[in-house]
Amino acid sequence: MSVLFAIVLLPLIAALLPRLVQSMGRSTVAIVTALPVLLALLLLLGTAPSVLVDGELLQAAVPWLPQAGLMLAFRLDGLAWLFALLILGIGLLVIVYGHYYLEKSDSGGRFFSLLLLFMAAMLGVVCSDNLLLLVVFWELTSISSFLLIGYWSGQAAARKGARMALTLTGAGGLALLAGVILIGQTVGSYDLGTVLASGDLIRSHALYPLMLVLVLLGVFTKSAQFPFHFWLPHAMSAPTPVSAYLHSATMVKAGVFLLARFYPALAGTDLWFVLVSSIGLVTLLLGAWMALFRHDLKGLLAYSTISHLGLITLLFGLSTRLAAVAAVFHVINHATFKASLFMAAGIIDHETGTRDIRKLGGLRRYLPHTMALATVASMAMAGVPLLNGFLSKEMFFAEAADTPLYGSLNWLVPTLATIAGMLSVAYSLRFVHDVFFGPVPAALVAHAPHEPRRLMRVPVEVLVLLCLAVGVFPAVVVGPLLAAAATATLGGELPEYSLAIWHGLNVPFLMSLLALTGGVAIYVWRAPLFALQRRWPRPHAPAIFEQAVQALVAVAGRFVRFIDNGALQRYVSWLMLPVALIMLAAMASRPDWLGEHALTPVDGLSILATIVAVLAALATVVLRRQRLVALLMISVVGLIVSLAFLRLSAPDLALTQLSVEVVTVLLLMLAMYFLPSRGVIESTWWDRSRDLFLSLSIGVGVGLLALFAMTHPGATISTFFIDNSIPGGGGANVVNVILVDFRGFDTLGEITVLAIAAAGIYALLENLGLCLPIYDPEGRPWAKDRSPLVLQMISRAVLPIALLVAMYILVRGHNMPGGGFIAGLITAVALVLQYVASGVHWVHARVPHNYHPLVAFGVLLAGLTGLASLLLGYPFLTSTFEYIYWPIVGKFELASAMLFDLGVYITVVGATLLILARLGKLSVVEQEEGN
Amino acid sequence: MSVWVEGLVAALILIGAGFTLVGSIGLVRLQDVYTRLHGPTKATTLGVGGIILASLVFFTAQTGVLSVHEVLITLFLFITAPVSAHLLAKTAMHRQEKKVQSTRGEPWQQ
Repeated sequence: MSVLFAIVLLPLIAALLPRLVQSMGRSTVAIVTALPVLLALLLLLGTAPSVLVDGELLQAAVPWLPQAGLMLAFRLDGLAWLFALLILGIGLLVIVYGHYYLEKSDSGGRFFSLLLLFMAAMLGVVCSDNLLLLVVFWELTSISSFLLIGYWSGQAAARKGARMALTLTGAGGLALLAGVILIGQTVGSYDLGTVLASGDLIRSHALYPLMLVLVLLGVFTKSAQFPFHFWLPHAMSAPTPVSAYLHSATMVKAGVFLLARFYPALAGTDLWFVLVSSIGLVTLLLGAWMALFRHDLKGLLAYSTISHLGLITLLFGLSTRLAAVAAVFHVINHATFKASLFMAAGIIDHETGTRDIRKLGGLRRYLPHTMALATVASMAMAGVPLLNGFLSKEMFFAEAADTPLYGSLNWLVPTLATIAGMLSVAYSLRFVHDVFFGPVPAALVAHAPHEPRRLMRVPVEVLVLLCLAVGVFPAVVVGPLLAAAATATLGGELPEYSLAIWHGLNVPFLMSLLALTGGVAIYVWRAPLFALQRRWPRPHAPAIFEQAVQALVAVAGRFVRFIDNGALQRYVSWLMLPVALIMLAAMASRPDWLGEHALTPVDGLSILATIVAVLAALATVVLRRQRLVALLMISVVGLIVSLAFLRLSAPDLALTQLSVEVVTVLLLMLAMYFLPSRGVIESTWWDRSRDLFLSLSIGVGVGLLALFAMTHPGATISTFFIDNSIPGGGGANVVNVILVDFRGFDTLGEITVLAIAAAGIYALLENLGLCLPIYDPEGRPWAKDRSPLVLQMISRAVLPIALLVAMYILVRGHNMPGGGFIAGLITAVALVLQYVASGVHWVHARVPHNYHPLVAFGVLLAGLTGLASLLLGYPFLTSTFEYIYWPIVGKFELASAMLFDLGVYITVVGATLLILARLGKLSVVEQEEGN
Repeated sequence: MSVWVEGLVAALILIGAGFTLVGSIGLVRLQDVYTRLHGPTKATTLGVGGIILASLVFFTAQTGVLSVHEVLITLFLFITAPVSAHLLAKTAMHRQEKKVQSTRGEPWQQ
């Protein structure tokens, strides 16, 4: 069913538009936002005959990650239809309202983009036919809600409120995911229909309590149920349209939607009854009580929302079929009257500049129209007859009155329900009376507020009219919708109920009457209650939350500092430790290090070179404080290693090692220049033991590993490479053919890593404020004269020769020692020599020095070479080669791998120069400033 | 390979080794930086030069093709050795390294 996809995806795709048309004026933005929503709403209404009248179940599915059970599957039953109607309908009204509510300075594009994103996420939640998909959309609502609460990101309250909401709903979302996975594993499918049909299986499972608690954690955090209710009042830092839409009509209803959705699968046990009804009851009372004492209009409405959500939760918890119908009915009613009340509060805030009830009063003179609307909506909230709130509250009282399950405490639920009803009447009265009646505060007289623009009131009018229509003609207006939604919730036959206004003089009516009179009484004699409430110990939720967050941050910080205290030694040692442990484990498990192959006979020269290398390595450690000497010593080790490579017939490695050695020495020289000469902290005894342990175990381990590998016979992969190098790769240099052909993908990865590392080092060095030393470690000032002329002249003469050598090594690489990597290093060294000899400015005036694009070009060239073979129908990075005859030059070979090697070459040159030139430049800039 | 060629190669190797030996002794024996600088420069230019020439003659005579690798090495050495000596001397002057009596002049005062 493509209609289903269109309904959900229209807002999602449209979420991109408002930002794109932002420059075309505010009205364009609002229209571009509203049109897709209107279209989706019309599509939804188009499905009304089949869903509501015929009771059809519309479904549509596309596999997403079928292996993981994740399908892009949507369903539209009565319940989903009802919620989709609320989301799209109220969403449309909120867009109209929001357009007039936002200030000129607010970014309308961002606001409406986020609103549409939220709308799509919410539609996804209610229409999901797959449990995992539902969780995905669920998280998306948390994130978009976070962004919308923090819309005015300049305000600390908005940021804190947003963070709190995200933390709680995000944590709940994780719990929900865990619960859903448990359910999915139990049932064997994440398909909603299958899960709903397997209620008995789930309820009889040993892990049912865990599943239920996890799902309920998600529900209670999202629907702001006690004890997670405190995020909702702080989410009121959001713009009012957001509060009206997310935090009263839709998102907070996602929790109770889930209760309804999982009702056939999870409900019906004692545990469900106890958990859901008691939490609902506590939230109902607590919310109503707190709402009475709020001075902030939106705060009052927020606590009232919490209370009404508690009411719905309680109804679901009561577990009777009629209670579920009442719960669904109240979802509809609460959404209409609470959204209109939020909008009215927004109008008051917009026109008077304050939401503090104590600073408001007598507004009926200035805002008569708004007053009428707010009064009707408040009466609906209070449960006054002929309005929608009355009907669902009546059903609620009826259900509360015959709760048989609490045993001897049967009187408790109806009594507490009536008390909550009284409080609800009292705060509704306070909302209307304190704001619109009574004396006008002086500040308001000076700046007389006036009615907002006509169109800003239209959404409120629509909603209030609906309250009235449902209240007066319930069966006609809402009957079929409620029946369809309740049928889908219960997953079966509907119980007998009647949507009449007058049921006769029965217990629920008496409770309603009691609530109304009691509520008026509480409002009239509220002064002692307020005094009592002031003495009440009030745990300050945000402070507690903030403390908890700070404590968590502190613990995390301590942990991070333990792992990474800012010193490279500690950080690297953590990386090395697992290597050392693996080495030790390997050494312990394989005692047969010496295999059957005979050892190579040793000669005097090799022994001498080895002794020199060992001595130099020891000298590096001993002389580490004399940095230059230590550097010389470590380069002795490097040189001997490259000689060893030469002796053991690995000329490629020897060449690479040699050029890497040169670059390393240059890099270390530059780095050492910046090192402070005084105040060096010696390593502690513990640090040294750690280092000794790591180096010994890794060094000895690698040595033994090499011994093992080389003395044990066995088929190695090298024979394949040697046999196939010429026929397969067209090159006699096996090392190079491995690099550019057999293992080309590896090389591509390596140069990508190199490019990323270069960019990272560049970024780290950018804006690095280093103290430039004026004196060398022995206290003498550094020489100030320019680079010596002899060096300049000679190095310039060397450059073309070095480049020629590099080119030669690059081109011959495929068949003889060489290749892109070595050639790149030689080129880099030749260019760096120019930097050393003539200075950064001289070089940059003559050589293009923007190395970023060069690095990117190199990686791209190598990658595109690979892609070219894909175009020709071969696997990625297949190489081809051809022998060509040219007069004079003779026969030579052209291989596509050479182009790949060229990419490697360019990347290496770019990356090396990017790093070295940047580090060298640090000294130049500051030296000039110093002069 | 004729005796003459062998003799030539031997002589060149001896010359090269001799200069390298003299240079090494100089590096150890000479008293201050300025004089000590002469040791390694002799060893890299004349010492290595002699051995490289020997290699050139030997491989040319053996393969019958003029061996040019050695020429390239010599070229690089003759270019780089004076430069590094020059830089070393400059640094020593900047650092005002101590000198022995017989080293004349105090160049950093010029």
